[in-house]
Amino acid sequence: MTLIKKHDATGDAPREFRHQSRDRAGLLCQLEADAPEQRRWAALDLAAFSDAADALCDRLEQETQTPVREAILTSLIQIGGNPVVCGLMPLLRSEDAALRNQVIEALQQLPEAVSPYIERMLADDDADYRIFAINVLANLRHPQAPAWLQDVIERDDNINACAAAVDGLAEIGTPEAIPALTALPERFADDPFMQFCTQTAIRRIQGHGA
Amino acid sequence: MNAPVPLAITEEEFQKFRDFFYRKTGIHFEENKRYFVDKRLIDRILATNNTSFRNYFVMLRFETSGKELQQLINIMTVNETYFFREEYQFTCLVNSVLNEIVTRKRPSEPIRIWSLPSSSGEEPYSLAIYLLEYWPRVDDYAIELIASDIDTTMLEKARQGRYDQRSVAHLPPPLLRKYFTALYDGSYQINDDLRQSVDFTQVNLSDLAQMRAYRDFDVVFCRNLLIYFDDTSRRIAAETLFNALNPGGFICLGHSESMSRITPLFKVRKFPEAIIYQKPR
Repeated sequence: MTLIKKHDATGDAPREFRHQSRDRAGLLCQLEADAPEQRRWAALDLAAFSDAADALCDRLEQETQTPVREAILTSLIQIGGNPVVCGLMPLLRSEDAALRNQVIEALQQLPEAVSPYIERMLADDDADYRIFAINVLANLRHPQAPAWLQDVIERDDNINACAAAVDGLAEIGTPEAIPALTALPERFADDPFMQFCTQTAIRRIQGHGA
Repeated sequence: MNAPVPLAITEEEFQKFRDFFYRKTGIHFEENKRYFVDKRLIDRILATNNTSFRNYFVMLRFETSGKELQQLINIMTVNETYFFREEYQFTCLVNSVLNEIVTRKRPSEPIRIWSLPSSSGEEPYSLAIYLLEYWPRVDDYAIELIASDIDTTMLEKARQGRYDQRSVAHLPPPLLRKYFTALYDGSYQINDDLRQSVDFTQVNLSDLAQMRAYRDFDVVFCRNLLIYFDDTSRRIAAETLFNALNPGGFICLGHSESMSRITPLFKVRKFPEAIIYQKPR
């Protein structure tokens, strides 16, 4: 029998080689360490400090290592609240598509904190930014989400923003959205794709699949 | 006065719910589960004081706390465990995973395997039996089996190692005879050697401070646990499991669970027997 039982289940690795203390100041220093592993642990531990949101968001913008980014986002989601949303929203303008997607997923996990900012995001001058806001809505657990998406298809002049909202409504729309969906193709009469995607969304809302 | 019309779930409602539940949990209900799903859905519609599927479904999708979805997940998933459950992952362990792990082990270095939640012990003891019976190199390495659960009652039951007929029903009879003693009341007592081979500990996967100490694992079996968590807890758990693994270590989830839906931290590895996840080296 070579299965052995240890009284210490927690492994043989050295437990701690700390260069910084595990208080807020020490962790903020560690968040800028050269070693990604140290930055990752600092990010995870900073979840305990609600006023660390700004520093975590700043670090997130520069960070290139996936495990560190994920740790930062996990802590930001735990901290939650307005400072986190305000720190994450500008990152939707990043050129880094992976970071944008990670930020969209994080915002989706903060429905109450993000909701006061949705109308402002949907009114942004940059159509791409509005589309990312619509992507947030498509999987946001908030009762207003279908109404916000409906508002997009009634008001937004950008066809890609409207198409993204139609996609979202196909997932989370209710029958109240059907008149707006029915009217939408008239606004983009030159584009047969819009006719197709609104019909698909209506069928899904009505429960006919596809 | 007319009697109230009993609630019923239409075919379209079932489809709609099935799609939604799949997107949220990765669990897909076949048509033959229709009665099972309908009954539990109706129970939750009534328990939440809703009068129709439609009202309940709107509440379910937009409730910010996610508590009702969690309730629903709890009753839609059957929380059962038995010896050799989802055996293909144990086969993958002995045929593929361990052979890869030992290529980067020094001879004196132990292989560490973690089972959580261990519940009443069926999974870690299955691992012990599988290693002893089916991994040809078992005598060449020291293997540590750690089994953890949040529930101390379950841990005590696991340490005792006494099981009913249902728990051992999937064990080949020769292995049942070899590792268990049949008792007069129809239950089975696992033998002392196996009981001594597993270290049972109490943990809370959501407690970062406690979990910080759990490190250096080569393989983690964490099956059918994450489906019970909400999105944030699932994400924290994934971080914790990542921290617990050695670089290149593997994690096995339940067949309806997907790490890729939670985090990009792990690589997907396709072995002949199973798809499992790996911490990058």
